[in-house]
Amino acid sequence: MNTNSNVYTVIYTTIVVVVVAAVLALVSQSLKSRQEANEKADTVSQMLTAAGFGTKAEFGKMGNAAVLDKYASVLGEAFTINPSGEKVADLPSGKVFSPKELKALNYIIKDTEKALEAELPVFVFNNGCTVVPIYGAGLWGPVWGYLSFDGAGTVTGAYFDHESETAGLGARIKDDPSFQAEFRGEKPVWDAPEESHIFEIVKGGSPKAADGSEVLEDGRIDAITGATMTSNGLSDAINVWLRAYKAYFSAKAAVSACSIQEESCCCSGCEKSCCATCPCEKCCTSDDCKVSCGPECCSEQCGCCGEDCCKPNEVEE
Amino acid sequence: MNAKIKETILNPIFKGNPITVLVLGICSSLAVTVTLKGALVMALSVIVVTGVSSVILSILRNTIPSRVRIIVQLVVVAMMVILVDQVLKSFEATYAIDKQLSVYIGLIITNCIVMGRIEAFALGNKPWPSFLDGVANGAGYGLILIVVAFFRELLGSGTLFGFDILGRFGYVTNNLVILPPFALIFIGCIVWLQRSIQKDLQEK
Repeated sequence: MNTNSNVYTVIYTTIVVVVVAAVLALVSQSLKSRQEANEKADTVSQMLTAAGFGTKAEFGKMGNAAVLDKYASVLGEAFTINPSGEKVADLPSGKVFSPKELKALNYIIKDTEKALEAELPVFVFNNGCTVVPIYGAGLWGPVWGYLSFDGAGTVTGAYFDHESETAGLGARIKDDPSFQAEFRGEKPVWDAPEESHIFEIVKGGSPKAADGSEVLEDGRIDAITGATMTSNGLSDAINVWLRAYKAYFSAKAAVSACSIQEESCCCSGCEKSCCATCPCEKCCTSDDCKVSCGPECCSEQCGCCGEDCCKPNEVEE
Repeated sequence: MNAKIKETILNPIFKGNPITVLVLGICSSLAVTVTLKGALVMALSVIVVTGVSSVILSILRNTIPSRVRIIVQLVVVAMMVILVDQVLKSFEATYAIDKQLSVYIGLIITNCIVMGRIEAFALGNKPWPSFLDGVANGAGYGLILIVVAFFRELLGSGTLFGFDILGRFGYVTNNLVILPPFALIFIGCIVWLQRSIQKDLQEK
């Protein structure tokens, strides 16, 4: 047969493409539920990380089912609000927002006409933390994440994710826990005028007084070196979304504080009881601590590496 | 015939390694070798893609119109890559790694090794040798990936497969090793080593 005739070529390529399309559609459909389950567990673990129930790495090791159980046990209420800060409706049980859904919401928020009809998700955990999503454009692709607030509208935790930021540079918004830790305790400027920033990621972070004792400007986080575009993108994303949530957080300033700080000082290898007694900054089983103050500095009784037990080590140096 | 098959399998692993000798697939080898786990998953993915698409195209080789053969190859390779990506996304154990490798799994399509082996070998040989050739080339690529990732993860993060190795000795991680340029330096060193062993590769 002449395999080079036009008719043959057209028929051949058509068959190949149809067969390939059918195979892909079949596989995609049959694996869809599993992929969505993975994505949901991932999103849930991001929210739990922001709310201070553990680290992302810990949730990664727990497995999907355990993460969802944990989420169900600590979630107080989940509902949507409108931009005026009023509650619209309860979210269905177990509902989380995938990056795709956040993207759709992002278009609505940024559209000046539709923005007033936006239904923004709010997740209130039973430790008092309120977690809200953010979404925006990084350098190469979307960046998104979750910010956790206490009743006074101060950030208590953050977790960010991205699709394709540069590894080692922009990807540090996700991979570098110290960048995310910087958000803790930062107070957004909720009453900032339209042209200035509620929250900003800039070189140097919050300007401090010369003696370092007083923070002159709130809501400023030190940007990542070598990842200016990603930092700017994340900064814009946080700004746009927090502006949408502004009314909600301004209205509930009196609600009780979120009790996260104590919880987050302890990690998996650490006895829970030590959290109350030992003012530990980090647990000595955590890797950061080993690097920053050496394994020998940890107090054995409590398993935590606090201010006190680190000091002798520093003196020797 | 046996000697020929042995040659098909062994040649791409060392003497004709796709990365160090043919200098194909450099981009992805710079990007995915930050962690050993990522490199391992990438290596296995490339082995599956090169192996299976070589077989498929070898079976089809006498029916493909030569004018559109590149497009047909591309369609088959793209299908395999999407399948691998979809499967990785579906399992709890591999979901996080697939996320970490992000675009690079998809970019296996543009990996010159895949198309190169199909064009050079699978279109002129029977399915079984084509399969072996595809797998062996994927393995040759994977071998370099794993060697580079071993050193990059060890020196860059102080860990291996995520387990703390050097950190417990107070090792301060070297950030330069994590960045892509250092992978190029590592690969350069491997090429250097290989050329000094295999004298016939040296230009006069």
